[in-house]
Amino acid sequence: MSTPPISMAGVMRTFGVHTVFKDLDFTLPAGSVVGLLGRNGSGKTTLLRCALGLLKLDAGRIDTLGEDPWRLSAKAKARIGYVPQTVSLYGWMRVRHLIQYHSAFYPHWNQALVDRLVRMWELPMNQRVKGMSVGQLQQLAIVLAMGHEPELLILDEPVAALDPAARRGFLQAIIDILDQPGHTVLFSTHITADVERVCDRVALLKDGRIELHEELDTLKDRIKRLVITGGALPEPFDVPGLLRIRRHANHADLTIDLKDPSILPMLRQRWEVNVEVVDLNLEDIFLELHDA
Amino acid sequence: MDDGPCNLPFHVSVSSGTPIYRQIVEQVQALVAGGQLAPGDMLPSVRQVAQALQVNPMTVSKAYSWLENEGLLERVRGRGMRVACGESSVIDRQAMLRPLLMQAVVHARQLGLTDVQITSQLQRILKEKHT
Repeated sequence: MSTPPISMAGVMRTFGVHTVFKDLDFTLPAGSVVGLLGRNGSGKTTLLRCALGLLKLDAGRIDTLGEDPWRLSAKAKARIGYVPQTVSLYGWMRVRHLIQYHSAFYPHWNQALVDRLVRMWELPMNQRVKGMSVGQLQQLAIVLAMGHEPELLILDEPVAALDPAARRGFLQAIIDILDQPGHTVLFSTHITADVERVCDRVALLKDGRIELHEELDTLKDRIKRLVITGGALPEPFDVPGLLRIRRHANHADLTIDLKDPSILPMLRQRWEVNVEVVDLNLEDIFLELHDA
Repeated sequence: MDDGPCNLPFHVSVSSGTPIYRQIVEQVQALVAGGQLAPGDMLPSVRQVAQALQVNPMTVSKAYSWLENEGLLERVRGRGMRVACGESSVIDRQAMLRPLLMQAVVHARQLGLTDVQITSQLQRILKEKHT
């Protein structure tokens, strides 16, 4: 496997007295599509901006395409595509001209891909940028970020301003890009269904750290809810991988990282209870991990 | 690369607790078991399925590879995946095993054993015969 496009070690960033993250480690594997999840204010945007060299670190080290992001070379920048949360583009330019202007900065530009995205999203080529809606602006920013077919694509809440149809269009564009090998995508979002559709990995930013970074399929295979009926579990109760336990009048449910499924027969036999295993989707898992 | 539509009735629920690759695996298995896919039939390409379902192509690849390992699909160089033609597919062989297991289960129930006890007995036998 080639070297990871982004790796972070012991990263810390503060704003005044507020520490956004501390001792944060994270590696973005080459060729992966990683969804960066976290609550509002958990530091997702700050983390992405640090990786791009738009914010300076207070401690630790980031490696972006083999370079220090704070001194990123033009060559490295040409290999990165970035869509910020708030898009600001030259309002007085017409869409057509802005795309031309933008393309001139890059030695490699896939006009066919750009044309296709523009058609798909029905972007008004002759309109001035300032007259566009927030959703259209975001689509345009995505087009501009994808035109040079970056090997590292970083998107900060890319679908926040898009309507459901445009959101599907965006995910389709991501899938198109993934069709060509060697692309790595990192995007922050709080819409877990989008992550489930296109991501192969999930990273959860919580309390200033990457609390969890795992393959999505592995997560769904392992994190389960167990509904316990027909008996009571002792208090306190602990089994390997237990994330949380809730006791109700006639039953208990527990969320567990089921690394070892042989726990199930053990539970049933040892405590003489019925155990039902319930699958969790990413939103459930996200909430469970947050409350754990 | 052909860009035709995906001609199989795949559907996935992305927000299900079951990983998407596993949903695809189960649907291919069902189509083969139900005879809608016959030995030798080509499957739609990874790209077609990914486009049709709007999911990551890697997820589809993963499902296909899994089915290939199972022996249900085989890779045809330069053309993609097809339903394995071999002597008998895993599904066929599973179908052959079924009546035997049925008998054993009926017996076990008559002996008053619980499901857990039956499966643990089976697991024990599997382990014993492992070497």
